Parts: sequence; structure tokens; C-alpha cells
Amino acid sequence: MNTRKPANRIPRGRSLRSVVFVAAGLWLVAVSAAVENRQSPKKLIRKFCLDCHEGDTAEGGLDLARLPFQPEDRKLLNRWVLIHDRIEAGEMPPDPDRLPQEQRQTLLKALKTPLVEADRTDIGASGRGPWRRLTREEFEQNLRDLLKLPQLDIRDRLPEDREAHRFNRTSSALDMSRVQLAAYLAATEAALQQAMANENGPPPVTRYRAVGTRLFSASNTFGGPKAMFFASGNRAVNGGELAAIKTPEKLELALFRSAHWPYYGYPRGFVAKIPGNYRVRFSARAVLQGDGFQLQPAEEPLPMTFRARKPSGPDVSGDVRATGGLLDIQPQTAVYETNVRLLPRETLEYSPLGLPVPLARNVDGGPPTYRYPPFPEGGQPGLAIQWLEIEGPIPPASWPPPSHRVLFDEWGPAVQPLHPVQEARRLLERFVNLAAREPVPAGVLDRLNQLIQKRLREGHSFADAMKTGYRAFLCSSHFLYLRDPSDPATGKNDSHAIASKLSHFLHSSRPDPTLIQLAAAGNLRRADILQQQTDRLIHARGFDRFVHHFTDYWLDLRYIRRHEPDTRLHPEYRFDNYLVESMERETRVFFRALIRDNLPASLLVDADFVYANDRLSRHYGLTPLSGSGMKKIPLPDGSPYGGLLTQAALMKVTANGTSTSPVLRGAWVMERLMGEPPPPPPDSVPAVEPDIRGARTIREQLALHTQSESCSTCHARFDPLGVALENFDILGRWRTRYRGIGQGKSVTGIDRAGHDYHYRMASVIDASSQLQDGRQFQNIQELKDLLVSDPRPLARNLLKQFTLYATGTPIRFSEREQIESLLDACHDEGYRVGDLLHALVQSPIFLGKEGCR
Amino acid sequence: MKTHTVDRRRFLQGAGVTVALPLLESLRPANAGNRAAGPGTLTGSGRVVPRRMLLISNNLGVLPKPFFPTTAGRGYELSPYLRELSGFRDDFTVFSGLSHPDVDGGHSTENCFLTGARGPTKSGFRNTISLDQFAAEHLGPVTRFPTLNLGVNIDRANRSLAWTREGALLPAEESAAALFRKMFVQGDPAAVKLQMQRIEERASILDTLREDTRRVQRKLGQDDQSRLDQYLSAVRDIEKRLAVNRRWELLPKPTTDEQPPRDIQDQKQFFEKFDLMLSMARLALESDSTRIITLMVDAFATPPFQLHPDQKTTEGYHNLSHHGQAEAKLQQLADADHQQMKLFGKLLAELAGVVEGGDRLLDRTMILFGSNMGNANTHDNTNLPILLAGGGLKHGQHLAFRRDRNQPLCNLYVTMLQQMGVEQEAFGSSSGNLNQIFPAK
Repeated sequence: MNTRKPANRIPRGRSLRSVVFVAAGLWLVAVSAAVENRQSPKKLIRKFCLDCHEGDTAEGGLDLARLPFQPEDRKLLNRWVLIHDRIEAGEMPPDPDRLPQEQRQTLLKALKTPLVEADRTDIGASGRGPWRRLTREEFEQNLRDLLKLPQLDIRDRLPEDREAHRFNRTSSALDMSRVQLAAYLAATEAALQQAMANENGPPPVTRYRAVGTRLFSASNTFGGPKAMFFASGNRAVNGGELAAIKTPEKLELALFRSAHWPYYGYPRGFVAKIPGNYRVRFSARAVLQGDGFQLQPAEEPLPMTFRARKPSGPDVSGDVRATGGLLDIQPQTAVYETNVRLLPRETLEYSPLGLPVPLARNVDGGPPTYRYPPFPEGGQPGLAIQWLEIEGPIPPASWPPPSHRVLFDEWGPAVQPLHPVQEARRLLERFVNLAAREPVPAGVLDRLNQLIQKRLREGHSFADAMKTGYRAFLCSSHFLYLRDPSDPATGKNDSHAIASKLSHFLHSSRPDPTLIQLAAAGNLRRADILQQQTDRLIHARGFDRFVHHFTDYWLDLRYIRRHEPDTRLHPEYRFDNYLVESMERETRVFFRALIRDNLPASLLVDADFVYANDRLSRHYGLTPLSGSGMKKIPLPDGSPYGGLLTQAALMKVTANGTSTSPVLRGAWVMERLMGEPPPPPPDSVPAVEPDIRGARTIREQLALHTQSESCSTCHARFDPLGVALENFDILGRWRTRYRGIGQGKSVTGIDRAGHDYHYRMASVIDASSQLQDGRQFQNIQELKDLLVSDPRPLARNLLKQFTLYATGTPIRFSEREQIESLLDACHDEGYRVGDLLHALVQSPIFLGKEGCR
Repeated sequence: MKTHTVDRRRFLQGAGVTVALPLLESLRPANAGNRAAGPGTLTGSGRVVPRRMLLISNNLGVLPKPFFPTTAGRGYELSPYLRELSGFRDDFTVFSGLSHPDVDGGHSTENCFLTGARGPTKSGFRNTISLDQFAAEHLGPVTRFPTLNLGVNIDRANRSLAWTREGALLPAEESAAALFRKMFVQGDPAAVKLQMQRIEERASILDTLREDTRRVQRKLGQDDQSRLDQYLSAVRDIEKRLAVNRRWELLPKPTTDEQPPRDIQDQKQFFEKFDLMLSMARLALESDSTRIITLMVDAFATPPFQLHPDQKTTEGYHNLSHHGQAEAKLQQLADADHQQMKLFGKLLAELAGVVEGGDRLLDRTMILFGSNMGNANTHDNTNLPILLAGGGLKHGQHLAFRRDRNQPLCNLYVTMLQQMGVEQEAFGSSSGNLNQIFPAK
């Protein structure tokens, strides 16, 4: 593990801003020192490395005798940086005694000095990275904000962006191809089509109201009456009596199952004809179902949402989308209101969260029968709905809508100016002015104008010709790429590039008018203004997009649903989508708080609080909470939870659905949280696979890693971290024994989806181990104590991840000292995450070589 | 089982079609050189062979037991169903132990057969690009129609094998007559004009972008320059393809001396409809109207149907499929499965009878025949029945993977894409490929 200590401590109590200046100053000193000590490393390499790394039989195919030391060549530079790093990490030579410490330092210095110099020259000549193409999320968000269409949905029209260094924002991987550009052309066409109003007024509003049996698609559903019935006076009304009910207002729809196939729980006779936002109002209460299909008032609220889908019966066709947000239905009858987004021919389906799923069975070719899982003590929680109203699409506040005005200013749906040639030029300039993130040269406007005039001459309608011109701009390099402020080819005032970089970093979108104004005035290099603006963006709503995208890639949260829990071993998790949704939300809320509340980086490993809701509090074995919202609650002493490291979402993405692997979890934590990716495993070594039949324990298998020296050099670094996490099952719940299907005490029952289960309690978990430096721990709590004692690697890794995400280019070799200076600057306050982010934004790494004023 | 002798061949009785436009030789874009035949795979002799694919799914599948062979490998014993194809033993591979990971939810999986999109009944589900569209996107406009999407008894609003990148359904064509018109009857001038206008608009946008990029490029550093070079070549690439598109719009369609087919409206005539659509697919391939076809047999939407001229099934196809081991239902299902295998065998025979450039058309056409249902009785979406014929692959074996730990079906799709000449290492939920069915070089 890298244990570099800060070379210069900054006196306590200075503001972050002055700290950054000092850091930049130190860096300049380092530059001049570097130039003096130039010494060719070739001699030392020959002495210490060529034994193994020479000729056709060179180890790892690396023939150092024939690898020229010419760091001016970028490819060679990168290879030498790799060699430097492996020597620095002590991985090469494999026998450390072959290269005594003193000579190791000499060699490293001899390598480093020319490498830094060459890297710096390269940055000076070409910038620190190439232009970055917008990702599809950014492109969509740019268009949403520009066209004032907050729900524009075009990202899936564009091919998924490739990733490099674990992020999909890495410039080198954001290529452009025919397929890509064709997709931009199609996506902009669709977006402009949506932005333009073709009618003289908003579409007509439809109103719908359901009571009684119209509240549900049928008079019964999969699962029988235990899953759903109509009630009157708190008792179920059976099918025969329903028709005789004269006052449907007195009926309630009672629902006790989750929206999981097979199910179609939408009201009768409603389908959206026109896409848009619909207002949904309904009256409901949370209930308990007792024996004999009776309703009793619930004690806890019941969370629910809606799902937009086509009314295609139990079999789903097309999209299924949760919409309308989470609603906690209280035990007292109350009216709830929310907005849902519907596409043509879609309806909305009740989706109570965390309820059972009945099992449908066809026994011997007979009619389907159902097994509803056993009720919990006190009755089965559920939902009773009295009435429901839908109204929409909700018209825009004005007509034509704001999106139309972006394209055609004051013109109504019929755009037929008297002087089309002049008006085209005016509207074009106006649009480009709104759309561009920086001033556009007159030549660009002229070319676009020529395009529009040509289309007009060819006889196309004025609106069509304008849209052709707009599309050309939105698909041009001016719109699709982000420049770097340090681009050597740009002029002095590159504030606009800073504005764009900052807004895409923190909001995944174009700079707002405030940022553009500050950029135009050239004020964004002023440290105080930059800090203020960064803070403003962090506290605005758009910051959730940063939290979402960043954690999607940094922590793999986008894969949280990749592996379904293996229901042989973990039947309690069958179809528990609400749990998975809650754990995902916990991690995002937590990470957002790290930055907004400026909390120390050590919280990545340990904290004395968690964010939890009703479902998670039970999952974590805490005092049960009620409601779906995430609440910050203190943890009892000795709790293994607290901190990102042991959050359920992380435990889930590092497990495969069946079993946990200390190797994979350890390596993941080492890379993602500690910032030290393990080298790839050697070929021809089979992966360690847990044997759920219980023949061999995972510890026995792991022992192989310590027996062989070639395994242990790497595995000793990360296996122990994974071992400490063995007490967390595939979804992060605390366990003291493994589960298996071979030997051990038998556990049987019926799961929440009506299936029989049978697994066995296998061996007791031993989470003790020792770190590579010899420090021992008994369990996760002790490991956390060891890790938080030095939070610098955690903070360094955050800077590394932020740099990659914000700039599209990994930290360059010559920037490593700057990173250490930034860390020094944040040391005294305990490496607060918000401070780290500000420090990066104010550094030349983000701002380009001119840095801050 | 009874054999039936009804003449199902109302159409295309003879050996086929006079295609006025033999392949693409006359369509060679001026600068396309050796790629005249469009992308394809290079054979041992260095020829570029055009590759095609026909992707068929019956959304209720087949009875697993009589379908899957009990022995694996090259010398496997043909199962009862596969005996219907015994004449083509070396022209197909049967797979077991394939499925789409996390694609469950009974019938909702039918729209994911060619996409592999996970969790079709879950909130947040959106379908993704299907194999046919993906291949077409990469191959470009080498034929008049990038793909054709056909259906039998299909609920067009809700079901399809073909999906766009953004998860929009591409409706299947059920009318043989309409397909015939599309392929062989000249389009109406208004439609051609509209299409030409769209092409022209795109061309003028690209013209502007090319000019604009050239100007920007003059003042850039080396890295940024290379990014913009990439952008510029993307612009040029689309321009080239637009030129091909434009020529397609203006070229006359191939002709045939066959009479246009009559549509079969009656959903009960299930086998006749299936046969007719297979013929249309063959015709499309033969005339090189397209190289990529999907065909969804919507058994789910098929009411009680004519099993034999004098016998109707006792219930709809879906109800039958929930047989619950009832003997009467199993018999009818097996009968229906056998007949479909026979029709499939007939298609293989016809494709083997057409020769193109010295090869059997069968050897240039991969035909996938499978289902999203492993066992419709229990709504099991694992262990899917999958059969791949033709296409110049190494066949004649039963490739068996673990039944309790299936391989992703998309691995097979990756191999099919590569055989089509689309150099991709991944598709959908693939974790690798099944390139062991590539012929030895």
C-alpha cells in the first residue's frame, strides 16, 4: 500500500483557498528541481533488470534492452511510467533484495525526472487530454436544458458509450463513428420535432375517475382473494355479490401483493391517448388483512409507487417504468396526489412495495391455483383504495410551449414570415446563441445560414428549413465536444471552457446563464468566484445527476440488479425489489451527503450513522423505522455497519448472487475505495469458487494464495479485506454462518413468493486475518479501525476518481506531485470530501496551466 | 400421427423467381472495389461471400423432451423432432443449455428473444437493440431493405422480434401480399419522393458539417486534431452510405414471374400461414431484397387451429401449452411441433436447392430456429430450444451446455454476428462467444 506522507504540512486554520495557492507554489519549486538532476536510468536498468528482461525469452515479453528510453514518444512514455510504478511499488524486481533500497531510490529518481519533464512538455504542446465528446447522458441533458423539455427521452437512441478506466467519460474511449453520428442526426430530429408545437393549442385534457370495481382490471387477480379483493365495511365482498352493489363508492379495492409477473393491476378503462404528464389523485389507507378476508387498520405506513405500462394483460410488452415517486400510504384514509409520465397507449399500475408475490401453479393440467405465502403475525400488510382520478396531459403554462419559443421566438405554430431570408438569419443567430456554450465564430453562422437558405430555395417550408439548420449545429463539433481549458490552441480567454467543464462535471449539462455570464466576463479563474459557483452547483438539484452517474461507475451501482439472488440459498430475497431499490438509494444519499455536508473521507470506511428506511432498518437489524424515505440515524456501539465499505449496495455489487468471494470483494475494495487496482491474475489459474455443497471451505481454498509466493505478493494485499467482509451475505445482511445445500442444520419454509425452500446452515464464518504489513484484525470492526487510521489513501483515491470523471483524462505522471500537494492542503481538516472536490476544481489539473487567480 | 396431403403450396410452386437484378453486381458503388458483395466473411479461397440470416422464434416453444437429443457431440442421436430434419443432419447444430440471463417472467420474455434485455417485467425495463437491427446497423445499406420483420398470427402492437436501440417495437409484417409488393412492385412516386427528400436533407447537413469541420481543424493541437479526424471520417462514411441509399431508391426493383401471393386471413390455418411466411423469407433472400429477416410465430395469439384438415385442436395454442402432462394435450402439441419441424426442413431443402456463386444459398444463410420458452407448461425461460442451420458454419453436432447453469444465448449471437462479418466481441448479455462452430480455416 502506498504510504507516502505529506512532505509539507500546511499550518492549521488556513482557509482552503490559500492552501491551494501554496500547493501550486510548491509544485513550481518541484519543476525547477527536476530539471537539474537529469541522469540516464539506462545504466541502472542494465544492472538490475536485464537478467530477466532481455532477449527473446524476456520475462513478460518485456525486453528492456530493446526498449528505447525516449519519453518524448508518448507510447514509450506510458510504458516507462508503468515500469517506474512497478519498481516503486516494490513489485519489481520480484526479489526485493536484488535491488537495495538506496539504489532503488536512485533508479526511481533517474527514471522519474526525465519522465516528468517529458510528460510536462507533452501537456504543454497538446494539452492534458483530447477534446471530450459528450456522453449520451450529457447530450440528452444538454438538449433537455436547451429546448426546455425536461422529460426529453433520447439517450437510448444513441449507442452506449464505451468505458475506459471504469468510467464512460474517458475522452480516449469516447469515439465517433458513422453509427454514432447517424444516431445524433436521428436523435436531434426527434428532439426538435418534440420541441415544436404543431397545433394551435395544447392537446385536450382527459379526465378519468374510478370507483368500486372500476378501480381494478378484473374482479380478482393472480393469488386469489388473499392477494386482492373488494371490501365493503372492512369485509370482502365476493364475486357474486359485487354485481348487486348499488353504491360502488362504498367499495374499497384491497391489495396485498407486489407488482410482479403475472399481474395486471391497473384501473379499468383508462389509457393515455396523448403522451405527457398526468395528475393522479387517489384516496387510500394502509391496512392489515386478518383471517377471513377482513380489513384492520395498519400500524405502519405502506410504501407504493405506480408503474407505467401498456394494458397488455399479465404479459408485459414494451417499457415498464416506475413513475410518480414513492408514496407512503398512511393508516388513516387520506388523499394523495402525484404526477406520472405516460406514453401513448399506456396506463398506470398500482405497485405496492415490499409485499409478497403469490405463486401460480398449474397442477396436472387443471386450472391455475395459487399459493399465497403465510401471513406475518398480526395480519398481512396491504393497501385499500377508495377512488382514483387521472387528469391530463397537463398543459404547459403557455402556448406555444417554451420549447417552441426556443426554436421560433414569438412565432406561433405556423411560422410564415414575410421576409424569410432575413428572419431565418435572425432566428438562427438567436438559436445558436442559446445553444452554444461559448461564442461561435461568424463563419459557422454563415455556413449554417447558407444551409437554411439553400433549403428555402429548394422549396421546403420555413420551419423545416430552420430545423435543418438547427440540427446541423446540434450535430456539429461545436456542440458535441468539450474543449479543455488548457488547450494550447485556444486563446487567452478560455473561461467558457471552464464553465462547461464545471457544469458537465457537477450537473452533466451545459452551463447555466450565470456561469456563461461569469465566463464572458472572464471571472471564472478568480478563486473566490470559482469556489462560490462550485458550491452553488453542488447545492442545486442538478447535482443529483453527478451523484447518480459518478456512483454508477465508481461503485458499479449501475450493476446493482445484475445478479438475481440465488433463491436456493437466499429464499428471503426472492423478488424483493424494494430492498434492492432501497440499498441503491442509501448509497447515493450517503455519497451526496459526503460532499454537501463536507464530511471526512474516512467515512468511506467507517461512520457512526447510517441512512436507512423501513426496509433497510430491518435488513441491518436496527430498530425498525417506518416510511420509505432515507433517514440519518445513529448506530449502536459495535455495529458492523456505518461507512460506505459495508453498505448493502456495495456488498451486492461485489457478490454474484449465490455466494461471496473474499478474493473478488477484496480486490474490488482495494481498487475502488483504496485506489490500488490489483494487476490482472495470471493466465491458467482457475478462480476460487465457493463450494456450496460444503466440501471445502473458502478459507482452505484461500490458503493456497499464501502458500505460493507468486500468488501471495498480490493476494496478501486484498484477500484479507474480503475476508473481513465475509460476515456480510450477498445482499449485505449480517451473518455468522455460511449457508449451503450439502451438510448442516436444515432450514425449511415457504418464501415470500410462495415457494418451498430448503437450505442448510454450514460452517461458522471466520473473518479474522492480517493486513500485508502484519497488522491483525479479528473482524470488520477492527479492520475499519486499522483503515481509518490513515485516511490519506482514501482521499487520494477520491481525487483520482474525481479527476478522471471531471476531466476525462487520468492523472498524468507529472501531476502526481500536485495531487500530493492538494492532499496536504486538505490534511488538517481530515480530508473532507467537499474540500477535496474544491481543491481539484481550483487546481491546474482542472483549470489548465494558468490555474487560479 | 396422420400424414396430411393438403396442398399448402398455393404459391411459389416452381423452383422460384426470375430476379432481374442478380445480387449486387450491378449495384457496385463506384469506389467500393472488392466489397461489392457487401460485408461478409472471407472464405479460404479469399472470396468475400455475402452472408445472410433468418431468425425464427415460436413464442411458446416446443415440448422439450422430444426436442433435445439425449446424447451430445458429433455422433449424437437425433431426437424425435430432429428426425424430421435427418436429411440435413450435417447442416445444422442443435444447442442445449442456452438461455438469456435474468430474462424471466413467462411470456413477457418473447420480446427479448433477440435482444437479451434483462428483467422484462421489472420497473425500469426498456428493451434494447435486437440482433437483426444491430447487424443491419453495422452492415449498412447493402440491400434494398436493411431487414425484413415478418410474423405469423402476430399481435403486432405488442410483439416483435425486432427492436430499435431505444427499445421501440418494429412491427412485423403479416401480409405476404404486402411483402410481395414491397419487394417486387415499384413504389408509388410520392413515397419515393419523400424518402429522397429525407436523404437530401441529411446530405446537405453533412455537407455543411464537413465544411465546418475542415475549418475548425486547421487550428488544433495533435490530440484534438485526431478526435476531429474521427468525426470527419464519420461524416464521410454516412455520406457514402447515403449515396448508396439514393441509388437504391432510384433503381428498379427485381421482377418475378410468380403471381402475387394471396394472404391467408384465417388464424386457424396456422401451418399454411407459417409455410407461406417461410416462402416469403426464402424469396426475399433469393432476390437479395434483404439479408436479414426475423419471423415471429405468435403461437400465444393463435386460437384453436387446424391440426389436420379433419381435426382442430381442442383449445388455443396457449392453453394447450399448459398441458400439465395431460396426454390429450401433449399429443396435439407434439403433432404441431412435428409439423413445424417438417416445414422448417422444407425450407432447408429449398435453400439448399438455390445456387448462388457456386454455393448453396443454405450455406450463405444462417437460420436460427428457437424460442424464448424453455418449457411453456411451467413458464420456464431457461434451457431454450435452439437450432442453427446453414450459413457456412461447422454443423452436425449437439452442443450441450449445463442445464443448471446455462450459457448466455447472446454468446451464440456474437458468433453469428462475426459470421455475418460484423466484428463485435460482445452483444446483449454475452459473456463470450460460441466460435467453436466456425469452420476450420
